[in-house]
Amino acid sequence: MPEAHDGGRKGGNPVGYVRVAQLGPGGEPKGNSTSGPSGHAAGRPGEPILPRMSLVIDSVTKRFASTVALDRLSFEVPRGQVFGFLGANGAGKTTTMRIALGVLRADSGAIYWNGSPSEALPRRTWGYLPEERGLYPRMTVIEQLVFFGGLYGVPKDVAAREARAWLARFRVPDFADRRADELSKGNQQKIQFLAAILHDPEVLLMDEPFTGLDPVNVALLREAFLELRDRGKTLIFSTHQMEAAEAMCESVAIVDRGRVVVGGTLAEVKRSTGRRMVILGIAGDHQLRWIADVPGARVIRPGIERSQVELDDGVEPDALLAAALARGLRVTHFEIADPSLEQVFIDHVGRPMDEDVTLAPVASTGDRRSGDTAQRPATSPRADGPAA
Amino acid sequence: MSSRDPLLPNAMIVARREYGERVRSRLFHVSTVLLATLAVLVAFAPLFVRILDHGTVTRVAVVADSPELSGRTIGILDSILNGTLAGDDARAPFRVDAASDRAASLAALGDTIDSVIVAARGPGGRLSFEFHVGETIGDDRLQQLSIGAFGVAVLDYSANNPSGAFQMPDVQLLRTGNTGEGAALGVADYAGRRIVGIVFVFIIFLTIVIYGMWVAAGVVTEKTSRVMELMISAASARQLVVGKVLGIGLAGLTQYGTILVAAIAALAVEDRLAHVLLGPGSSLTPSFQGLTPGLLLMYAGYFVLGFTLYALVYAAAGSLVSRAEDLQVIALPLSLVAIGGYLLSILALTGGTTWFIRLASLIPFWSPFVMLPRLTLGRVETWEVAVSIGLLVGAICATYVVAVRIYGAGVLLYGQRPGLRALVAAARTSR
Repeated sequence: MPEAHDGGRKGGNPVGYVRVAQLGPGGEPKGNSTSGPSGHAAGRPGEPILPRMSLVIDSVTKRFASTVALDRLSFEVPRGQVFGFLGANGAGKTTTMRIALGVLRADSGAIYWNGSPSEALPRRTWGYLPEERGLYPRMTVIEQLVFFGGLYGVPKDVAAREARAWLARFRVPDFADRRADELSKGNQQKIQFLAAILHDPEVLLMDEPFTGLDPVNVALLREAFLELRDRGKTLIFSTHQMEAAEAMCESVAIVDRGRVVVGGTLAEVKRSTGRRMVILGIAGDHQLRWIADVPGARVIRPGIERSQVELDDGVEPDALLAAALARGLRVTHFEIADPSLEQVFIDHVGRPMDEDVTLAPVASTGDRRSGDTAQRPATSPRADGPAA
Repeated sequence: MSSRDPLLPNAMIVARREYGERVRSRLFHVSTVLLATLAVLVAFAPLFVRILDHGTVTRVAVVADSPELSGRTIGILDSILNGTLAGDDARAPFRVDAASDRAASLAALGDTIDSVIVAARGPGGRLSFEFHVGETIGDDRLQQLSIGAFGVAVLDYSANNPSGAFQMPDVQLLRTGNTGEGAALGVADYAGRRIVGIVFVFIIFLTIVIYGMWVAAGVVTEKTSRVMELMISAASARQLVVGKVLGIGLAGLTQYGTILVAAIAALAVEDRLAHVLLGPGSSLTPSFQGLTPGLLLMYAGYFVLGFTLYALVYAAAGSLVSRAEDLQVIALPLSLVAIGGYLLSILALTGGTTWFIRLASLIPFWSPFVMLPRLTLGRVETWEVAVSIGLLVGAICATYVVAVRIYGAGVLLYGQRPGLRALVAAARTSR
């Protein structure tokens, strides 16, 4: 496999490249806008997209029967970044990935990679880790990896060598000759990840990659992410775990009902709500009742050791510190922080991410089935496209 | 999409995986042994019939134009058929009696009499024999009767006319019953070919239905194990369908070949086995004498085309269900179509060639079953074969286009009953 080239990744990706469809007061998109200095002119659908080292999702719309899975979804991911695609079940994450892969067809809009429409790209451009994990149960790990590598044009010997090297890195070299059905779910997931990256794709699309992994394997996977990013790969993963996104991503987009609610660098997105936070720890006082007396400050997430305090605009964090010291309290922790992504989501969408509103419309049919069907989003009575 | 995803090499990679997985599986080994055993049993059926038939007596009535010829014919036939050739069996296999009324004897043919021999002496002293046989006489006994008639002629020559040249007797075989249209076959040949036809129709039916279900089950397994999500992003629906049909088809051909070799071997040793089990003179007509290379080629061709057609439909059917239990339901109509074809083929083997059989041998989903027995019995016009294969290939092309589309959409469908509307909606949304 060719060693990764790193050219261009660090060159000229200033802050603020993620285009978002910003919502107007009525919830209608104002149109695609670019935030930040480098925003290019590919604003409206139909306009030519300039060749660019990036993945562009350009006003993609997709319907399944009467359900709108993607509603003029637009954002852009610069090459060589780790990008978090955040949203509840049914937000449209999987559908977006499937359209990029060519498995589904968009009703309108298009997806471009480095200026080429996704339909014109060879399949090996993409590496895909689906949300639903699966391998051929009776094939050995090495057989599967060589098989999937072969479909992407990797010669057998190269695929086998790469596969063994990765297995060693994942600390499971002895898995090579084990059958998939002998492995635990978490380990099968690691093998699937290898199946997605063995052909050295330029863009990795991963649907909930951390789900079901124990902390040790999460750490291994994160390491692998960072290594791939350092090789110049673009990594996009969907998740509803905000902590994972905060720990990994350089940029994120929060999607809800097929639209980007907010997107940008992690810092931008966190500041997009205008909230200002202080994380405060006081020895021997976890109730922090006195904060009620500080104008423009309130505890929004109490804790034993530390609590999150939100400050109104115009209230300086220093004022809070001064108030604590003036009361003779011993400050053990004082940190000026951004709001969590969870908080950002709630602020923008108006409800917590776990609240799965998208399941509501179909509940009336009384036909929700058990088993694997139950976890499919019920928003898609015809195809499970909008599972995201 | 087609420009982005050429069929090769991915279809071949998928096919290789499918082939390897099938051929290495226990199910494959067990079913190969089972089917080969079945084929051998069917091939041996005439031998079993012979063994059961061993004690039966063939009743022959001799009608002659003179008592002298009648007496001589009866005496010689009796000694040849019951003495020399049939071994020292306690029960004589032939009972040869004189009959005076030719019409009455013929009327009793197939009832109380198995064969009527009308012997006559021609003007030059040449003997002629008319063999009237019904359904109740086997081909081997008929052969013995012919040898007996020849013996009568030889002995008659030595007794009457030793100075002149030996005149071959004029032997005519008249079988009652319908032998159908087209070129009439010799009776022995006809029976032999029928056995071959039965064996191959049986094999082609079982294998097409079994391998077709393998294709469908393979698709469902990929869906339930969710490996399909990886597959559909790594390869196009076209590559997956072609690879699957090709791989499983080749695995089927491997099994088919194994069964074929076993069946042909059984047919080949049948004659010798009959000698051993039933003694000399009990030779069976080699059943595969009708098995020409051309016919074998036709078998292979119809198997490949028939399997491809059915497998494409099975692949599309498999993509529409997400649980193995539902597979039977969706595959049932197709199995019924195949069973219909099988029954028609049996009809074609046993009955005459009615207009309906002729039509069925042209209809794509039935022609692989129905045309084979017709070809085996040699009653087919060349244009019929051409039309049948042309329609079959056309049906495969049309089915291929539809099946790939259904497959591309179907594999992403989970948790719904496969309905026509869901199918159409999905096919429209897939690429």
